[in-house]
Amino acid sequence: MELPSIRLENVSVRYDDRVALRELSISLNEQRIGVIGANGAGKSTLSRLLNGLVLPTDGTVHIGDLNTRQHSKQIRREVGFVFQNPANQIIMPIVSDDIAFGLKNLSMPKSERHQRVAQTLNELNISHLADRESHTLSGGEQQMVALASVLAMRPQTIIFDEPTTMLDLRNRLAFQREIAKLSQRAIVVTHDLEILEDFERVLVITDGTVAFDGAPAEAIAHYRQWSHA
Amino acid sequence: MIAAANTSYLARIRPGWKFGALLILSIALYLISSWSVLLALFIISIAILLSARVDLRQLRLPLISMAIILSVVFVLLGIQTDWLNALRAVLRLLTMCLLAYAVSLTTKFEDMLELFQQVASPLRLVGGNPAQIALALSMTIRFIPELKKVYVEVREAQHARGLGNNPLAVTVPLVIRSLKIAEETAEALDARGYDSAPSPRQH
Repeated sequence: MELPSIRLENVSVRYDDRVALRELSISLNEQRIGVIGANGAGKSTLSRLLNGLVLPTDGTVHIGDLNTRQHSKQIRREVGFVFQNPANQIIMPIVSDDIAFGLKNLSMPKSERHQRVAQTLNELNISHLADRESHTLSGGEQQMVALASVLAMRPQTIIFDEPTTMLDLRNRLAFQREIAKLSQRAIVVTHDLEILEDFERVLVITDGTVAFDGAPAEAIAHYRQWSHA
Repeated sequence: MIAAANTSYLARIRPGWKFGALLILSIALYLISSWSVLLALFIISIAILLSARVDLRQLRLPLISMAIILSVVFVLLGIQTDWLNALRAVLRLLTMCLLAYAVSLTTKFEDMLELFQQVASPLRLVGGNPAQIALALSMTIRFIPELKKVYVEVREAQHARGLGNNPLAVTVPLVIRSLKIAEETAEALDARGYDSAPSPRQH
């Protein structure tokens, strides 16, 4: 799968008088990219810029040839988003209906939709959850269903916003394995530094800017040093 | 209460037919005054529910609640009018409820929503959006248990602080957390490409 380049050009984001990101210019081409940084550093804002959930105050964000300001609908099809709290991402009361939700928005025929849902559940080994009521799922199951609902849309890039924060060790490891298996590009915003070991690139965000950009080991070392300062 | 996977003969009947029949039967029950006919229909409704292979454990609590409410109705009506009239009223309500359970527990939620959208489609003429109303309905069903969880958490936290009996101490955090859930869910809807404009074709 050829993945579109993600380009941020002189991007700044301001919320009222607070600057969340300042003059950021980066290009993301790797398949596994991590984003780390302190609370409030701008990580979540950066992740939300990449699928148009947040629009830049200044500058532009391009996903391939698409601009988040002009092509938000197409971009959301190509860039999936897994939120920190899956309970609020699951919209429908039944798991299979929730996974079909995005496909229904694309007006996909019912038979094709059912086939895609079954296939996605099978890929993640969670077919047994298809008829479960969403509120009866455990945290780990909810996170897998949230991932399934994104994967069903067949995006080229998936952004994970602190996906393991609410998971126990067993579920964290299971989720980590699923991320590793993805053929899509994965951009993972996290405080869980172990997840990033096999990644190709890690960005350290500090005070709305990229303080370090490089291999995981060096990036994590830089972040630890910054945290102890 | 939402239908689990059901494979009975009732699940194979189109939702429109089932709900239509339920509506007609419910009206017809009020035209019948013979208690013996009503009793026969009540027994038939039990048979239909049992033959629909629904999970009876799922029905335990609703049936207990229904029995309590109908007992009160029976006693009040019996005292105010006469006991035969009370029996007729209770038999009608019981039959209707059991048939409604049989229909709703053998119909997939997705199919119910589609039916709702079809029935509500005339609303488009006055600017309504049945798809949006259906989504609001399903999200209400989805988030009631979540809000209940939040309520329990808030109440436990306030109890731990010795504020368990203060309604304001529970209500304020509950409202704030509910708004936070609403904000995050709206963001998720956006991220999942939800388009509030009516789709040209519904499947």
